[in-house]
Amino acid sequence: MSGQRDHFLAKSLESLQENIRRSGPAATASYTLVGAVLLLGGIGYLLDQWLMTSPWFLLGGLLLGMVVGFYEIAKAVWKR
Amino acid sequence: MMMPDEGSESVGFNPGEVIIEHVSNSSIDHPIFELPTVLGINFSVTKHVLMLWIVAVLLFVLITWSTRKYLKQDRPIPTGFMNGLEAVVQFIRDSIVLPNVGKKFVNTWTPLILTFFFFIVTANAFGLIPMFEVLGAVDRFILHTDHESIINRVLHGGATATGNYNVTAALALITFLAIIVAGTKAHGFIQHWKNVVPSGLAWPVYIILIPIELMGMLVKPFALTMRLAANMMGGHIAILAILSFVFIFSEMFQSVLAGVGVGLVVSLPLVVGVSALEIIIVLVQAYVFTLLTAVFIGMAINVHH
Repeated sequence: MSGQRDHFLAKSLESLQENIRRSGPAATASYTLVGAVLLLGGIGYLLDQWLMTSPWFLLGGLLLGMVVGFYEIAKAVWKR
Repeated sequence: MMMPDEGSESVGFNPGEVIIEHVSNSSIDHPIFELPTVLGINFSVTKHVLMLWIVAVLLFVLITWSTRKYLKQDRPIPTGFMNGLEAVVQFIRDSIVLPNVGKKFVNTWTPLILTFFFFIVTANAFGLIPMFEVLGAVDRFILHTDHESIINRVLHGGATATGNYNVTAALALITFLAIIVAGTKAHGFIQHWKNVVPSGLAWPVYIILIPIELMGMLVKPFALTMRLAANMMGGHIAILAILSFVFIFSEMFQSVLAGVGVGLVVSLPLVVGVSALEIIIVLVQAYVFTLLTAVFIGMAINVHH
């Protein structure tokens, strides 16, 4: 009985490790998409505040953020 | 739902203000310990810095002590705390670092990633322990220290050091530098920067690609910074918002009983649930930070283009 349970636990742990290993690139891509939009949008917003050009830098930053984010996703998706 | 009271002249309970005061760092003008200013930087200890110190000292002492004790004993079987420590170390090395970084560099980067994991998980977990509140209660009912005592100065609610963007930004900066060092160690300095963009494309493509890749390089640590800090702060805000129902309802119905009733029926069960969720988040966020660091370092070492 205890041997069976050990086997089950070992298998669960193995499957968890495998899932973790494969989830790495996906987690990277998704966080990069959000991060890029936030960072570049934020920089655009600050530039707008500074230069009084609202909303152009914000829009440009958001667009650029989407480009960078989707580029990273594309890299993760078409790697293999 | 949880909007602060309309109009700043109101003197009632202001949940927004209370919550922000709890989750943000204490003011540098009223530090917990006064330290001198060196090179224009004020080194005085605020709430989050105190938490950082506590976590760092505790981890250093506990892990060094238990590892030394283990190395000194004659049989190579760990017991007690060291047993758990070894399981965590092995898990991180074998299932986070090794698959991402590769066999050649696994021993180079495991120490850094382990340090990240233990530091973040401990700092996250310490934010969940209401030690300052307990200290405050003891002070209020037993010690009766005066208003300017250290106990009353640290009392600004529980503090999660990793809920401060400056802390996570510093951690992410280390990751950023580690990525560059890893790439340089594996491929040489010039080749590392060449690896940033795919090779063998027509030259006009590079005009677009190089800025995008460079921005992507900066975005990765930024995403790490925001994710960890926002998650740690978010859980605390949720708990405090739910708890502030007690005071909102007391004020609304002009009766303590209404507040306590709502607290017992709604707030308490919800807060217990959110706190249970927080325990998972503490582990998951530390884990995600270490996993992403390992993935980024691995990407700099094993270049696929």
